[in-house]
Amino acid sequence: MPRRLTTSPAVDTDPSFSPDGRKIVFESDRSGSQQLYVMNADGSGERRISFGAGGYAAPEWSPDGQWIAFTSRGQYGRRIGIVRPDGTDERYLTNGPADESPTWAASSREIMFARLGQGGRSNLYRVTLGSGEAQQVTIPQDGSDPDWSGAVD
Amino acid sequence: MRKAFFLLAFAVAASAAQAQILPFLSKRGPAQPVVQGIDALRAEFAAQAGGTTVYYGAGSSILGAPAKAVLTAQAGWIRRHPEVVVRVEGYGDSGDTRDHALAVGARRAEEARDYLVLLGVPAAQVSTTTWGNERSGLGRSVTVLVR
Repeated sequence: MPRRLTTSPAVDTDPSFSPDGRKIVFESDRSGSQQLYVMNADGSGERRISFGAGGYAAPEWSPDGQWIAFTSRGQYGRRIGIVRPDGTDERYLTNGPADESPTWAASSREIMFARLGQGGRSNLYRVTLGSGEAQQVTIPQDGSDPDWSGAVD
Repeated sequence: MRKAFFLLAFAVAASAAQAQILPFLSKRGPAQPVVQGIDALRAEFAAQAGGTTVYYGAGSSILGAPAKAVLTAQAGWIRRHPEVVVRVEGYGDSGDTRDHALAVGARRAEEARDYLVLLGVPAAQVSTTTWGNERSGLGRSVTVLVR
């Protein structure tokens, strides 16, 4: 039986469970811009964890529970960032300008995402948390909306 | 005989003044049913309602004055055509992430639907859907599609 967890009249969407199933991160534009919120799995204890300019969207909790990846929206376009579930240690892994849909490797050390290139063609890229440039993943055709399986690679 | 028929038709029309079928009867008359294809209906709607598309500000689902003017004309046409149903299709902004675009498109469609109903269009005649930004080329808008 579906149960409503949030009650704001704003757009609350794109939820992601923490790996232990006890918390949910989601985006909401209730403040006037899209920002990230964490709540308990029963809908209680909502807390905003992002406060930057522009918007934060499409959060994805890492398999090890330590990070939340998101798509940042701002004057530079869309780029991929990560932040701790308590809102600290926010950092950016790509420079955009048209990156989105982050998904975690089972190791929680890498993220795959979609990047819209020149001419409107979308391709898949992967980037390591530690450092380095995003690398394009070779696939037969254009690609978007990656979803990494749970198997350790 | 013909006169009597028209008188009868007039009486029927007058007694139906409260009902939604009056515009239909008075426009075409019961004796001359006109079968109009969906494409012709859509063209007529677009021409007489001042367009099928209503635009919004970035990230907004608030109806501005130009949007309300178009919806008002659309509502008038839909009320004159109780035989059709329309679907209000909402779109997100092109830079939106997928889920947010779908949600914003739905909210825009519901705003437009509510305004049509406010203007007297029977709710059963209007459905809504959202495209988010799944279709390129359109954004920050709703399109009212006659079906």
